Amino acid sequence: MIPFIKAEYLVHEYSRRDEEGNVTGINRALDGISIEVKAGDFIAVLGANGSGKSTFAKHLNALLVPTEGTLYVDGKDTSDHNNDLAVRQSAGMVFQNPDNQIIANIVEEDAGFGPENIGIPTDEIWHRVEESLKNVGMYEYRKASPNHLSGGQKQRVAIAGILAMKPKCIILDEPTAMLDPAGRISVIRAVQELNKKENITVILITHYMEEVTAADYVYVMADGQIKMQGSPRQIFAKSEELAKYKLTIPEVTKIALELIKKGINIPKDILYVEELTDILLKLKVSATVGVRKE
Amino acid sequence: MLRDITIGQYYPAESAIHRLDPRVKVVATFIYIISLFCFKQLSGYIIAALFFLCMVKLSRVPFKFITRGIKPIIFMLIFTAALNLLWTSGENVLIKAGFITITAEGVKKMVFMALRLVFLIIGSSLMTLTTTPNQLTDAIESLFKPLNKVKVPVHEIAMMMSIALRFIPILVEETDKIMKAQLARGADFESGNVIQRIKSMVPIFIPLFVSAARRANDLALAMDARCYHGGEGRTKMKPLKYKKKDIAAYLVMLCYICLIIAAGRILPV
Ligand SMILES: Nc1ncnc2c1ncn2[C@@H]1O[C@H](COP(=O)(O)OP(=O)(O)O)[C@@H](O)[C@H]1O
Ligand SMILES: [Mg+2]
Repeated sequence: MIPFIKAEYLVHEYSRRDEEGNVTGINRALDGISIEVKAGDFIAVLGANGSGKSTFAKHLNALLVPTEGTLYVDGKDTSDHNNDLAVRQSAGMVFQNPDNQIIANIVEEDAGFGPENIGIPTDEIWHRVEESLKNVGMYEYRKASPNHLSGGQKQRVAIAGILAMKPKCIILDEPTAMLDPAGRISVIRAVQELNKKENITVILITHYMEEVTAADYVYVMADGQIKMQGSPRQIFAKSEELAKYKLTIPEVTKIALELIKKGINIPKDILYVEELTDILLKLKVSATVGVRKE
Repeated sequence: MLRDITIGQYYPAESAIHRLDPRVKVVATFIYIISLFCFKQLSGYIIAALFFLCMVKLSRVPFKFITRGIKPIIFMLIFTAALNLLWTSGENVLIKAGFITITAEGVKKMVFMALRLVFLIIGSSLMTLTTTPNQLTDAIESLFKPLNKVKVPVHEIAMMMSIALRFIPILVEETDKIMKAQLARGADFESGNVIQRIKSMVPIFIPLFVSAARRANDLALAMDARCYHGGEGRTKMKPLKYKKKDIAAYLVMLCYICLIIAAGRILPV
């Protein structure tokens, strides 16, 4: 099967120029990224600030083109500008700042903005807007002004705006960075549902460790390169290596690791609070049973 | 709350006027304003006033909202009235005191001019009260579409207006935030002479401009990402379509303007 996204030795260089347009400096933001993503996958990309995550995301949406290497999205070469609209339609992008990506003054009109641009007939636009707003739980706010919504609600409207273009894949570039915890949870839930129910490929870029637990596969970026990859459990088990890239593991994994140091026998790749409490409760039960037997 | 600021002053209600196509309302307002300059005698004012009152009744907008529009121009109103009063020469002198001469013609002209201005303002208020800013931009885009032929970027201008509508409240709120932050650091915007006051505004406007530029950049990317590529090949989620009632409204306006013109010719006063 052809992968949905295929990047081969992707390089991107930002060049600084002086007034005459001469190059005065080069910043290699992506340095040889090779990735393959299957359709329907939920991928997380982790990395500290400045590691090149956003630059990579913009390539997936043909907002930037590779300096070297190639990138195919849904079988289309992103460096060919004739493919721009097709690429953006099949891989939609949600940005970090909720305010700066909502274009219209009414929620439903914002959701309709993408379909309008790609020339969908009016009736079909309404149909898609309804469906996509329902998908992210924002249908009841369809007549509201975006200025009256919370950050999490705005991000879900932004997701609906992408969904209405019927993409096969959604790229989210730190969608929760500016949200409160409740907003963060609501956005990540909506994304998970889309992946499971609608089978939409998800590429979630984040530096919140807790959020990658939902992913099938995780890439860790630093200095424009992919330094680690694996399932969330495999990644979190290597806390020392993560720390090298200025990333810290979820609190509950940290607690589990501390417990292991204290000599308690539990696995070291625990991701969820419930998981840890379950294991600890079981330990407690077997311990008390053991005491009784003696 | 600052976020509640809206441009214009939409008064939400379910009325025949609210439901009209926004283009009809823009054109009708334009016709009404022109009509105000088509007569010189009292009967014209009476017709214009009666017509306007009927429209207000139909629109279900409370009258106090309509007259609110006059407040900001009261000074201008008094000024032009005074000018008309003093500068009009005539035979029937009412008062003569030093260099001030007030004539009956002057009084008449003053009253009529003031009425005209008031009608003009409240007439356009009725339009903005019954039309959302979005509908207005749609109407402008559609009405000015022919200018595309002479290379006026009509779609782009309408898009800019609608984006401005979305971001003005956000930027106002941000200005407020920055101002409070500067106040907390001991900034003083109230005292000093004009130069000092302008200087004290610099720390507000610089961060504001920086932020606005960043927002503009982000928004441009977001629009690209959503396949925006100008007005070409674009469809509309809410296309403007004339219905029977809109045609009827145009006919009503036609009758009105004919009536006004006829009245101006036939009626003596
Ligand atoms: N428009 C730009 N011009 C020049 N350098 C940039 C630009 N955008 C990002 N960079 C640089 O590229 C590197 C990667 O940035 P970015 O992709 O934004 O990282 P991240 O999203 O992981 O924080 C950083 O060193 C950053 O300074
Ligand atoms: Mg970034």
